[in-house]
Amino acid sequence: MNVQVAEPWVEAPLRQFLDDARVRIAVLMHPSGQVLGQSGFARSEDIMTACALAAAINASAGELGRQLDGKPFNGLHYAGSAQQLFLGGIATPRGGLLLLTVFDDSSSLGLVQVFFDEFRQRIANAAPAHEAAGPALAENFEGDLNRNLAALFGKA
Amino acid sequence: MASPFQPLLATVMRLRGTTACLIVDERDGVIVDSTLQFGMRGNVFAALISSLYRKAKQSAASAGMGDASFVQLEAELGRVCAVGRDGLVLIAVADPKANLGLLRVELLKAREALA
Repeated sequence: MNVQVAEPWVEAPLRQFLDDARVRIAVLMHPSGQVLGQSGFARSEDIMTACALAAAINASAGELGRQLDGKPFNGLHYAGSAQQLFLGGIATPRGGLLLLTVFDDSSSLGLVQVFFDEFRQRIANAAPAHEAAGPALAENFEGDLNRNLAALFGKA
Repeated sequence: MASPFQPLLATVMRLRGTTACLIVDERDGVIVDSTLQFGMRGNVFAALISSLYRKAKQSAASAGMGDASFVQLEAELGRVCAVGRDGLVLIAVADPKANLGLLRVELLKAREALA
Protein backbone atom coordinates (compact mmCIF):
# COMPACT_ATOMS: atom_id res chain seq x y z
CA MET A 1 0.00 0.00 0.00
CA ASN A 2 1.35 3.40 -1.03
CA VAL A 3 2.00 5.69 1.95
CA GLN A 4 3.14 9.30 1.59
CA VAL A 5 4.37 11.27 4.57
CA ALA A 6 5.44 14.83 5.22
CA GLU A 7 7.39 13.80 8.33
CA PRO A 8 9.24 10.46 8.60
CA TRP A 9 8.07 9.47 12.12
CA VAL A 10 4.52 9.14 10.77
CA GLU A 11 5.27 6.42 8.23
CA ALA A 12 5.68 3.27 10.34
CA PRO A 13 2.57 3.75 12.52
CA LEU A 14 0.47 4.74 9.51
CA ARG A 15 1.65 1.77 7.47
CA GLN A 16 0.92 -0.56 10.39
CA PHE A 17 -2.58 0.86 10.76
CA LEU A 18 -3.28 0.39 7.06
CA ASP A 19 -2.06 -3.20 7.16
CA ASP A 20 -4.07 -4.04 10.28
CA ALA A 21 -7.34 -2.23 9.73
CA ARG A 22 -7.61 -2.82 5.95
CA VAL A 23 -8.95 0.66 5.30
CA ARG A 24 -9.08 2.27 1.83
CA ILE A 25 -8.01 5.76 2.82
CA ALA A 26 -6.15 7.08 5.85
CA VAL A 27 -5.03 10.66 6.38
CA LEU A 28 -3.19 11.91 9.43
CA MET A 29 -3.44 15.66 9.87
CA HIS A 30 -3.27 18.58 12.25
CA PRO A 31 -6.69 19.77 13.46
CA SER A 32 -6.03 22.86 11.31
CA GLY A 33 -6.10 20.70 8.18
CA GLN A 34 -2.37 20.39 7.45
CA VAL A 35 -1.59 16.89 6.27
CA LEU A 36 1.18 14.82 7.90
CA GLY A 37 0.74 11.56 6.04
CA GLN A 38 -1.73 9.80 3.82
CA SER A 39 -2.61 6.74 1.82
CA GLY A 40 -5.41 6.38 -0.70
CA PHE A 41 -5.55 9.76 -2.42
CA ALA A 42 -3.82 10.28 -5.76
CA ARG A 43 -4.11 14.06 -6.19
CA SER A 44 -3.01 16.83 -3.84
CA GLU A 45 -6.24 18.78 -4.56
CA ASP A 46 -8.33 15.88 -3.27
CA ILE A 47 -6.35 15.54 -0.09
CA MET A 48 -6.45 19.29 0.52
CA THR A 49 -10.24 19.22 0.18
CA ALA A 50 -10.58 16.16 2.42
CA CYS A 51 -8.35 17.71 5.10
CA ALA A 52 -10.23 21.02 5.05
CA LEU A 53 -13.58 19.23 5.36
CA ALA A 54 -12.31 16.91 8.11
CA ALA A 55 -10.93 19.89 10.04
CA ALA A 56 -14.28 21.64 9.75
CA ILE A 57 -16.18 18.51 10.84
CA ASN A 58 -13.84 18.11 13.80
CA ALA A 59 -14.27 21.74 14.83
CA SER A 60 -18.06 21.50 14.55
CA ALA A 61 -18.25 18.18 16.41
CA GLY A 62 -15.91 19.52 19.09
CA GLU A 63 -18.05 22.57 19.67
CA LEU A 64 -21.25 20.53 19.58
CA GLY A 65 -19.78 18.23 22.22
CA ARG A 66 -18.80 21.20 24.38
CA GLN A 67 -22.32 22.60 24.12
CA LEU A 68 -24.05 19.29 24.87
CA ASP A 69 -21.65 17.43 27.09
CA GLY A 70 -19.20 20.01 28.42
CA LYS A 71 -16.31 18.44 26.50
CA PRO A 72 -15.58 17.93 22.80
CA PHE A 73 -16.66 14.74 21.06
CA ASN A 74 -13.59 12.75 20.18
CA GLY A 75 -14.62 10.46 17.38
CA LEU A 76 -17.05 10.50 14.51
CA HIS A 77 -18.42 7.64 12.46
CA TYR A 78 -20.55 7.94 9.34
CA ALA A 79 -21.88 4.79 7.70
CA GLY A 80 -22.70 5.06 4.02
CA SER A 81 -24.23 2.26 2.01
CA ALA A 82 -20.91 1.07 0.56
CA GLN A 83 -18.24 3.02 2.42
CA GLN A 84 -17.87 4.30 5.96
CA LEU A 85 -15.91 7.17 7.46
CA PHE A 86 -14.22 7.38 10.84
CA LEU A 87 -12.58 10.52 12.21
CA GLY A 88 -10.73 10.30 15.51
CA GLY A 89 -8.52 12.56 17.61
CA ILE A 90 -5.04 11.70 18.88
CA ALA A 91 -3.14 13.41 21.70
CA THR A 92 0.63 13.57 21.14
CA PRO A 93 3.52 15.47 22.74
CA ARG A 94 3.26 17.83 19.74
CA GLY A 95 -0.41 18.52 20.36
CA GLY A 96 -3.58 17.04 18.94
CA LEU A 97 -3.77 15.26 15.59
CA LEU A 98 -6.65 13.80 13.57
CA LEU A 99 -6.96 10.57 11.66
CA LEU A 100 -9.49 10.49 8.84
CA THR A 101 -10.13 7.04 7.48
CA VAL A 102 -12.51 5.53 4.94
CA PHE A 103 -13.26 1.84 4.77
CA ASP A 104 -15.61 -0.57 3.04
CA ASP A 105 -16.84 -4.09 3.76
CA SER A 106 -13.26 -5.41 3.89
CA SER A 107 -13.09 -3.87 7.35
CA SER A 108 -15.58 -2.84 10.03
CA LEU A 109 -16.13 -0.09 12.56
CA GLY A 110 -15.07 -2.42 15.35
CA LEU A 111 -11.79 -3.29 13.62
CA VAL A 112 -11.08 0.35 12.79
CA GLN A 113 -11.69 1.36 16.42
CA VAL A 114 -9.48 -1.44 17.75
CA PHE A 115 -6.57 -0.60 15.45
CA PHE A 116 -7.13 3.14 15.84
CA ASP A 117 -6.52 2.71 19.59
CA GLU A 118 -3.22 0.97 18.78
CA PHE A 119 -2.34 3.60 16.17
CA ARG A 120 -3.05 6.37 18.67
CA GLN A 121 -0.56 4.80 21.07
CA ARG A 122 2.09 4.29 18.38
CA ILE A 123 1.78 7.82 17.04
CA ALA A 124 1.94 9.30 20.54
CA ASN A 125 5.12 7.30 21.19
CA ALA A 126 6.68 8.13 17.83
CA ALA A 127 5.94 11.86 17.83
CA PRO A 128 9.05 13.92 18.58
CA ALA A 129 8.46 16.04 21.67
CA HIS A 130 10.80 18.89 20.89
CA GLU A 131 8.57 20.74 18.44
CA ALA A 132 5.55 22.29 20.12
CA ALA A 133 2.39 22.58 18.05
CA GLY A 134 1.82 26.04 16.65
CA PRO A 135 -1.44 27.93 16.64
CA ALA A 136 -4.18 26.51 14.46
CA LEU A 137 -4.00 29.36 11.97
CA ALA A 138 -0.47 30.66 12.21
CA GLU A 139 0.67 33.35 9.81
CA ASN A 140 2.66 30.77 7.84
CA PHE A 141 -0.26 28.33 7.66
CA GLU A 142 -0.53 28.37 3.87
CA GLY A 143 3.21 27.95 3.49
CA ASP A 144 3.20 24.95 5.86
CA LEU A 145 0.22 23.44 4.07
CA ASN A 146 1.88 23.74 0.68
CA ARG A 147 5.18 22.44 2.04
CA ASN A 148 3.49 19.32 3.44
CA LEU A 149 1.57 18.70 0.23
CA ALA A 150 4.77 19.15 -1.75
CA ALA A 151 6.53 16.64 0.50
CA LEU A 152 3.71 14.17 -0.10
CA PHE A 153 3.34 14.57 -3.84
CA GLY A 154 6.78 15.81 -4.80
CA LYS A 155 5.73 19.21 -6.14
CA ALA A 156 4.67 22.60 -4.80
CA MET B 1 -31.45 -1.87 31.34
CA ALA B 2 -31.69 -5.50 30.28
CA SER B 3 -31.64 -6.07 26.54
CA PRO B 4 -34.04 -8.50 24.83
CA PHE B 5 -31.05 -10.80 24.26
CA GLN B 6 -30.33 -11.45 27.96
CA PRO B 7 -32.37 -14.70 28.17
CA LEU B 8 -30.61 -15.99 25.07
CA LEU B 9 -27.17 -15.20 26.50
CA ALA B 10 -28.14 -16.76 29.83
CA THR B 11 -29.21 -20.00 28.11
CA VAL B 12 -25.84 -20.37 26.39
CA MET B 13 -23.88 -19.33 29.48
CA ARG B 14 -25.60 -22.06 31.52
CA LEU B 15 -23.79 -24.74 29.51
CA ARG B 16 -20.84 -26.19 31.37
CA GLY B 17 -17.50 -24.86 30.16
CA THR B 18 -18.91 -21.76 28.43
CA THR B 19 -16.89 -18.77 29.55
CA ALA B 20 -18.29 -15.91 27.46
CA CYS B 21 -21.17 -15.22 25.13
CA LEU B 22 -21.63 -12.19 22.90
CA ILE B 23 -24.06 -10.85 20.34
CA VAL B 24 -22.21 -8.72 17.83
CA ASP B 25 -23.30 -6.62 14.87
CA GLU B 26 -21.96 -8.52 11.87
CA ARG B 27 -21.21 -5.49 9.70
CA ASP B 28 -19.77 -3.20 12.38
CA GLY B 29 -18.12 -5.73 14.69
CA VAL B 30 -19.55 -3.88 17.68
CA ILE B 31 -21.03 -5.63 20.74
CA VAL B 32 -24.83 -5.51 21.03
CA ASP B 33 -24.98 -7.46 24.29
CA SER B 34 -22.59 -9.76 26.11
CA THR B 35 -21.68 -11.76 29.17
CA LEU B 36 -17.91 -11.72 29.51
CA GLN B 37 -15.27 -13.01 31.83
CA PHE B 38 -13.47 -10.41 33.92
CA GLY B 39 -10.39 -9.17 32.09
CA MET B 40 -11.55 -10.16 28.61
CA ARG B 41 -11.06 -7.40 26.02
CA GLY B 42 -14.59 -7.70 24.69
CA ASN B 43 -14.45 -4.95 22.07
CA VAL B 44 -11.24 -6.28 20.55
CA PHE B 45 -12.51 -9.86 20.59
CA ALA B 46 -15.87 -8.87 19.08
CA ALA B 47 -14.28 -6.87 16.26
CA LEU B 48 -11.85 -9.63 15.32
CA ILE B 49 -14.21 -12.58 15.62
CA SER B 50 -17.00 -10.89 13.66
CA SER B 51 -14.47 -10.15 10.93
CA LEU B 52 -13.46 -13.80 10.95
CA TYR B 53 -17.11 -14.83 10.76
CA ARG B 54 -17.73 -12.56 7.79
CA LYS B 55 -14.64 -13.89 6.02
CA ALA B 56 -15.75 -17.48 6.70
CA LYS B 57 -19.16 -16.69 5.21
CA GLN B 58 -17.54 -15.11 2.16
CA SER B 59 -15.26 -18.14 1.77
CA ALA B 60 -18.19 -20.55 1.91
CA ALA B 61 -20.13 -18.48 -0.59
CA SER B 62 -17.10 -18.17 -2.90
CA ALA B 63 -16.66 -21.93 -2.83
CA GLY B 64 -20.28 -22.31 -3.89
CA MET B 65 -21.20 -23.88 -0.57
CA GLY B 66 -23.96 -21.43 0.33
CA ASP B 67 -24.28 -19.74 3.70
CA ALA B 68 -22.04 -20.70 6.63
CA SER B 69 -24.35 -21.91 9.38
CA PHE B 70 -21.84 -22.64 12.12
CA VAL B 71 -18.26 -21.42 12.42
CA GLN B 72 -15.85 -22.97 14.91
CA LEU B 73 -12.32 -21.95 15.85
CA GLU B 74 -10.17 -24.33 17.89
CA ALA B 75 -7.38 -22.83 19.97
CA GLU B 76 -4.90 -24.26 22.43
CA LEU B 77 -6.93 -23.27 25.47
CA GLY B 78 -10.46 -23.27 24.17
CA ARG B 79 -12.94 -22.91 21.36
CA VAL B 80 -14.88 -20.10 19.79
CA CYS B 81 -18.17 -20.92 18.07
CA ALA B 82 -20.33 -18.53 16.10
CA VAL B 83 -23.70 -18.56 14.38
CA GLY B 84 -25.38 -15.65 12.64
CA ARG B 85 -28.68 -14.37 11.37
CA ASP B 86 -30.08 -11.09 10.05
CA GLY B 87 -26.87 -9.12 10.60
CA LEU B 88 -26.22 -10.37 14.12
CA VAL B 89 -23.64 -12.94 15.21
CA LEU B 90 -23.97 -15.02 18.37
CA ILE B 91 -20.54 -16.02 19.66
CA ALA B 92 -19.71 -18.44 22.45
CA VAL B 93 -16.31 -18.98 24.03
CA ALA B 94 -15.79 -22.34 25.71
CA ASP B 95 -12.96 -24.12 27.45
CA PRO B 96 -11.59 -27.40 26.01
CA LYS B 97 -13.68 -29.53 28.39
CA ALA B 98 -16.98 -28.07 27.23
CA ASN B 99 -19.48 -30.38 25.51
CA LEU B 100 -19.12 -29.12 21.96
CA GLY B 101 -22.13 -31.06 20.64
CA LEU B 102 -24.45 -29.53 23.21
CA LEU B 103 -23.00 -26.07 22.62
CA ARG B 104 -23.56 -26.45 18.89
CA VAL B 105 -27.18 -27.53 19.37
CA GLU B 106 -27.88 -24.63 21.74
CA LEU B 107 -26.25 -22.08 19.43
CA LEU B 108 -28.19 -23.28 16.41
CA LYS B 109 -31.40 -23.18 18.49
CA ALA B 110 -30.53 -19.70 19.74
CA ARG B 111 -29.83 -18.58 16.18
CA GLU B 112 -33.56 -18.80 15.47
CA ALA B 113 -34.20 -16.20 18.19
CA LEU B 114 -31.64 -13.79 16.74
CA ALA B 115 -34.04 -11.99 14.44
